[in-house]
Amino acid sequence: MTNFIIALILGVFFGLTLQKAGLTKYHKIVNVFRLTDFAVLKFMMTALIVSMTGLYSLKWMGVITFPNVPATYIAGNLVGGLIFGFGMAISGY
Amino acid sequence: MDWLKEQFAKEEWSPYAAGALLGIVGVLAVVLSNSLLGASGAFENVAGLIGKAVAPQAFDNVYFNFVMPPGITWSVILLVGVFFGGMWGAKSSGTWKLRLVSDEQWKQIAGKKWWKRWLIAFVGAIILEYGAGIAGGCTSGLAISGGMLLAPAAYLFIAGMFASGIITAWFVYGRRF
Repeated sequence: MTNFIIALILGVFFGLTLQKAGLTKYHKIVNVFRLTDFAVLKFMMTALIVSMTGLYSLKWMGVITFPNVPATYIAGNLVGGLIFGFGMAISGY
Repeated sequence: MDWLKEQFAKEEWSPYAAGALLGIVGVLAVVLSNSLLGASGAFENVAGLIGKAVAPQAFDNVYFNFVMPPGITWSVILLVGVFFGGMWGAKSSGTWKLRLVSDEQWKQIAGKKWWKRWLIAFVGAIILEYGAGIAGGCTSGLAISGGMLLAPAAYLFIAGMFASGIITAWFVYGRRF
């Protein structure tokens, strides 16, 4: 139950950041693929750097262990990404 | 404090500020629940739940039994939160409004017909979800959550996503690319 409350609260902030970064808008998503607006990339990369730094520091201090790391299967990840990118570019989500 | 309130109410934050906050949320998800943020998986959990109830035989396969077990999972609850978080964001800047076609740029390239937007969004979302299913995650679940653990899968996915996204946008926009 506590876990679900945590999920709900984290979800709210997840949604808030997406909305405030403008990622809920069609033109923001499409324009990154048109190479005219890099907000999505700036947003993603900042999130990556902050969380990466945080998680690896905490792991180093022995506070956490990593959850299951997404599995690598080269063809699947790549083909999935290709299909995903097409869907993303036409729908703008 | 007033300054902070003013910044919060802005319609659009700096992507760096929003990204940093998401990074913190991502770390908290691991610390507090040992889970990764994700969006696409939740739809499959719910789809599995409905599918098992409506057509148990069709959904009795490896994918829905083991890869994506149906149920109200952590990420389903997360997604409920995302919905309200997005709403909160829009409300706080006073831009919350129900509309059929929300984007000016869309109107310029595809016209004002609302059903066209809805149809393409629906079909696009099916394709996108299917791709996420194959890859093992979406932009949030694989690219960001996997990327922060330095999973190679995440970077392969990002490469694929940008390659086809750029080509698709190039076709859609033609000379206006």
